[in-house]
Amino acid sequence: MKLARNPLVFGFGLAVALFAGWFVFPRVLYVQKHQPLDFLHKTHAEKSGIAECSECHTLRDDGSFAGLPPMEKCAGCHSEPIGESKAEATLVNGYIKSGHDTPWLVYSRQPANVWFSHAIHVKRAALACTECHSTYGESDQVRIHEVNRISGYSRDIWGHSISRLRRTPHEGMKMSDCEGCHEKHNVEVGCLGCHQ
Amino acid sequence: MKVTRRDLLVWSAGAAAGLMVTPAPWKILDDVSIWSQNWPWIPQPAHGPVEVRQSFCTLCPNGCGLRVRIAAGWPVGVAGMKTHPVTRGALCPLGFGAHQLNWHPQRLRNVQHHGKTSSWRDAQAAFAKARNEGSVVVVDGYPGRAASAVLQRFARKQGGSYRVVASAESRALAPYESWSGLPSSDLGYDLENAQTIVSFGAPMLDGWGTPGRFTQLWAERAAGISDPELRLIQIEPSLSRSAARAWKWIAIREGSESALAAGLARVLLEQKLVPAHGPVPALTIAEAAKQTGLSADAICDLARSLVARPPVLAIARDRDPAVAALNVVLGSVGARGGIIRRGHKTETYLSADTEISNARAVLIDSSVPWNFVPQTEGETFRFAAWGGGSTKADWLLPAFGFLEELTDVPTPPTSAIEIYAVAPALAKPTTDVRSAAQFLAALDADVSSPEKIIHGRCAELFRARQGTLDAQESIHIEKIPSLAKFEEQLWSGAVWVGEPSPVGGLHCELKSWPASAPPAPRENWASDWPAPVLPPLASKLYRESNLREAPERSKV
Repeated sequence: MKLARNPLVFGFGLAVALFAGWFVFPRVLYVQKHQPLDFLHKTHAEKSGIAECSECHTLRDDGSFAGLPPMEKCAGCHSEPIGESKAEATLVNGYIKSGHDTPWLVYSRQPANVWFSHAIHVKRAALACTECHSTYGESDQVRIHEVNRISGYSRDIWGHSISRLRRTPHEGMKMSDCEGCHEKHNVEVGCLGCHQ
Repeated sequence: MKVTRRDLLVWSAGAAAGLMVTPAPWKILDDVSIWSQNWPWIPQPAHGPVEVRQSFCTLCPNGCGLRVRIAAGWPVGVAGMKTHPVTRGALCPLGFGAHQLNWHPQRLRNVQHHGKTSSWRDAQAAFAKARNEGSVVVVDGYPGRAASAVLQRFARKQGGSYRVVASAESRALAPYESWSGLPSSDLGYDLENAQTIVSFGAPMLDGWGTPGRFTQLWAERAAGISDPELRLIQIEPSLSRSAARAWKWIAIREGSESALAAGLARVLLEQKLVPAHGPVPALTIAEAAKQTGLSADAICDLARSLVARPPVLAIARDRDPAVAALNVVLGSVGARGGIIRRGHKTETYLSADTEISNARAVLIDSSVPWNFVPQTEGETFRFAAWGGGSTKADWLLPAFGFLEELTDVPTPPTSAIEIYAVAPALAKPTTDVRSAAQFLAALDADVSSPEKIIHGRCAELFRARQGTLDAQESIHIEKIPSLAKFEEQLWSGAVWVGEPSPVGGLHCELKSWPASAPPAPRENWASDWPAPVLPPLASKLYRESNLREAPERSKV
């Protein structure tokens, strides 16, 4: 009787751990945060005629990536509310009129010992934006920002798949992802290429 | 159903086994390691506008060109300056992480007297008392700077002496100084024009001289070629990295380099392989063979291969008069591709390696390597940016760290051309630090300040109208409209390069073959600047990737 009971108990423990590790743990590990505004890439592309990513996401004269467009660029169209949505009112009254920058939550924030240049990847390597960012530029919803409770970094760094086994090509920003892409494109950088 | 203790244990074992095949433990490990990078007490690079400035490394006298990435006013990254005429973008592993040194836990932050915290006021009072009671000796590890001129002036004014701790490369040039009367600080190796380099244990491809200078020459003219344009013959007891990559490795007994040099000179003279006539070493070829462990035939073959492709240059690991005398026999002194005189200096320095007797106080500049211990009974005042050494010092005085102080960069010790550059202060000191020059200037205002001396030197170079200014492109100094423009260029990372010195001007005459010197102790694997501490990046590059040979591995 005891011999049959032990494997059963062992198997039960195994099953609980597997369930917890694969299904409960990823849900507990990340805390979900909403962006301050519902910005829709698709709407801007369709209604404003913005066709290229670089129209808003520019490189400065020195080659560094400016990131998000300045508030003046938004104010060009949104100096007064367009429509009656809550997001529009927040944008115009909360940020444009008050002159405060929108506190966007950054999906790609890396530790301070990592150096990445958009200019090198876009200009020298001639990579299309979609190679890393997929079709996010055509999306009609704002993604929820998931923050790792332990490390404090975005889930996008690790990638959505907790096992990292079934990642899409543009998912994940770990060092192994950089190395994998560099290997694929046969570009050697060395430690000091990114860790300057 | 009763749950027993055994059930709990079996359940836990199952859970533990199950957990191992879930991402949870591995992901937590990864996240915790990233979290630990952001603990509040760990210094983080500042966030803010990023700019790149050019400067020069002052950790050792090689003065490598740097491109320093500065974020919000703080250096956060260092890379080599590709336009530098000597280093051409190369840096040593220590230099790559040098900006981290300023934040090292062993950074000296307080004045210490016999291991206890003291103050600058007390240190100054103690030094002032000592100089009134007796003579003062000032020790410098990086002569030729404006700060060195301040130290020298102070020592002279006090009737004391100014001494220098030379690197192994500089000590190897010392015999030519005693034979020619010209200062070894004005001599260099014309590696660029040599066709055969015979190294007597000098780590040619492993940190010898200015980083990048020889390695790039070797890469361009020798790497992977069976009959290279530049032949490197490495004479060394063990298969070091230099020996492994050399055109020829000659394994000899430890400490028998002088005997081999004498044996080679004897073959060259007896078989009339060189135009020189003497002096012939007393050591016979058979005796040289016995001491080195080589056969007499091997020594003869080596002598013939030396002269097969001139110009040939022999380089000693440290001071070795026999190797220097071999260069005289080979006709490589004062000749193209040999030992050359690069400037017009006439001043020689006293070595700090000999006993410093009758000194009441010894002041040691922060440029002096940590492993130097003065042989003195006097009270020692040691400037250092980092602790971590076990050196005896009565007073430890916190000095400027990496790029925290304006300084000039004179010609590196082994260079064949004269250069001059200015390294501005790019980092703010985070504690009350002073340089030895500032310390002495506070006691005696007449000794001037390094900044004034740098301006004076710039004016002197500009008035001479010789040489070029190397920045993005090389401009002859005559084309620079004003001294202000010249200084502006130098302050922003340009390098003044002197005219190539004409061959000749250095003559050594040997009356007799030099007595064999006792072999110098093998240098620390950290080369010229044995760091008391290493930045984390250097630790990674230096220790884990095993880029340099550790002392215990240097002997087979």
